[in-house]
Amino acid sequence: MKEKNNNEVLRVENLKKYFPVGKSLFASIFSGKEEYVRAVDDVSFSVKEGEILGFVGESGCGKTTMGRTILRLVEPTSGKIYYKGTEVISLSKKRLKSLRRRMQMIFQDPYGSLNPRRTVAETLRQTIKIHKLVNSKAEEETLIKKTLEEVELKPVGEFWDKYPGFLSGGQLQRVSAGRVLILQPKFIVADEPVSMLDVSVRVGVLDLLLRMRNKFGISFIYITHDLATARYVCDRIAIMYLGKIVEIAQTEDIINKPLHPYTQALISAVPVPDPTVKIHDLPIKGYLSLTSDLVSSSCRFYPRCPYATKKCHEEEPPLVQGERDHYVACINYRKSKSVY
Amino acid sequence: MALLEVKNLKVYYFTRKGTAKAVDGVNFSIDKNETLGLIGESGCGKTTTALSLMRFVTPPGRIVKGKIVFDGRDIISMSNEEIRLLRGKEISIVFQAAQNALNPVMTIEKQISEGILEHESITEDEALERAKNQLNLVGIGDERSKSYPHELSGGMKQRVMIAMATVCNPKLLILDEPVTGLDVIVQRQILSLINDLRAKLHLTIVIIAHDLSVIAETCDKIAVMYAGKIVEQASAVSLYKNPMHPYSQALIKAYPSIKGEKKKLKSIPGAPPRLVNPPPGCKFHPRCSYAADICRKKEPIIREKEGHLVACHLN
Repeated sequence: MKEKNNNEVLRVENLKKYFPVGKSLFASIFSGKEEYVRAVDDVSFSVKEGEILGFVGESGCGKTTMGRTILRLVEPTSGKIYYKGTEVISLSKKRLKSLRRRMQMIFQDPYGSLNPRRTVAETLRQTIKIHKLVNSKAEEETLIKKTLEEVELKPVGEFWDKYPGFLSGGQLQRVSAGRVLILQPKFIVADEPVSMLDVSVRVGVLDLLLRMRNKFGISFIYITHDLATARYVCDRIAIMYLGKIVEIAQTEDIINKPLHPYTQALISAVPVPDPTVKIHDLPIKGYLSLTSDLVSSSCRFYPRCPYATKKCHEEEPPLVQGERDHYVACINYRKSKSVY
Repeated sequence: MALLEVKNLKVYYFTRKGTAKAVDGVNFSIDKNETLGLIGESGCGKTTTALSLMRFVTPPGRIVKGKIVFDGRDIISMSNEEIRLLRGKEISIVFQAAQNALNPVMTIEKQISEGILEHESITEDEALERAKNQLNLVGIGDERSKSYPHELSGGMKQRVMIAMATVCNPKLLILDEPVTGLDVIVQRQILSLINDLRAKLHLTIVIIAHDLSVIAETCDKIAVMYAGKIVEQASAVSLYKNPMHPYSQALIKAYPSIKGEKKKLKSIPGAPPRLVNPPPGCKFHPRCSYAADICRKKEPIIREKEGHLVACHLN
């Protein structure tokens, strides 16, 4: 992933975010070593203009922390983040604010991320005010109207004075998208934007994201635990496990030719909406461990991996190119490929 | 013979804004050892239907009409004492997000044994022993029986809830959104567990979900609910292969899958109707792409067609 690319919107290099683990007073005095949860551990990737890159993993794998760190909602421990060549981490608060217009976020919970005491129009007006987007009242009204039409809250008059309590989850998520879109961003982190919505309206919101990409060339990081929706919107998918990217490739390659044993397990676990398909047993065992005392020199998936060997315990596999545009972090990926 | 028969069930919530007809004339029956899936969007009345089966509906809600016949007895006319003996012993429920309902200051074996002691006259030690066996059955080793809920992951807590619900060998088990909010891998483990227990304990199960794939992997029979009514009911395979109601068709078309070719999906326009003031005629007509004049005026009656029960004028 070293190649330079001019239409790159975002580039992340060796990003790390460690959270210190709370200890008792006794332990902190007498044991010198600090302990950490390595939520994001040495992650590197880039996003091209108009690309939707998915991050898929179980709860606790660090995908949300990573999304927040990129926007500096959480300060990283180390690493570099470039937005169109500008280094983001060393920016001052003031310069960061002007950049925030270009880098935005859509949150998971539309019920919690909108102010219940503001109408739809007031919510958008607030954003306009903070970023001083217009000069006159009339312009403001036009902009709000245009934005609501863009996110398909039509007829606009019907939604203008509605409070969030009167809207469905799908409609609220459209308001969230509108609040972001009004800033004309170039890059959006969408953190599980449809996981709290009914299946029947999910596709509508996903189609909205796709349209925002197609029409305005916005790049996305789409964070989810659901491979099926990731397949629907993403150009590329990165699979995360305990703070690391274990595999990254074009979407259809991840779905049809997964190389990492964890990706294979994730795919076989996704329920299929067809009663004639037989359920297979999962190839992996156990649960995602959240302990901080991981051996740093072993593969993190080692305790659950069906193909684990002694070597996996001894060295941490680097992310290497398996096939074209297909990177995997597994020592015996050739072996696991032949098994499946 | 049917273990459970629900006839013309109506459950209304009497709110200040008016009467919300959460369940409005629902009929279904479940045979022994059968698994029924109730599917629909939020607010379609599926949870209220499940709560009524154990008479858990509380004011402002009330069962206003209908019959629920369980094993030959009518649940609606039972005394409070009779229903108390039934709950947990003959019919059990695992509520949605029930993992959070575990008592944080009591070990899990103790919480499971409480249920047994409530219904059976055995000693506390015997009950704890049974609790341990039950934990083994749901895939939690008995070495964890003295754990507190905070020491367990979400998936394990859900296993504990299922252990608790099945410890008295109930005849009917109700699972309300059993895997919502869990990770895919844990989801798969819980679904396998449900299928396992069903075979081992000869359970009859009602599963409530908004997720088609969860229902597809576990149920024999599916009832699709919309705005308080069942709009289509059929065997699982037939409903997926040949959905007749436009709403069932739309639900299936809206569902992304990772198997096979990538398909263009179609969302259902609009939102489910408010139950206080639903549209006249067929309640689905404002969102239905086939809606005709009659759909706006007259409410369709559910009737049989090619092995399905379907409520649509155009079918």
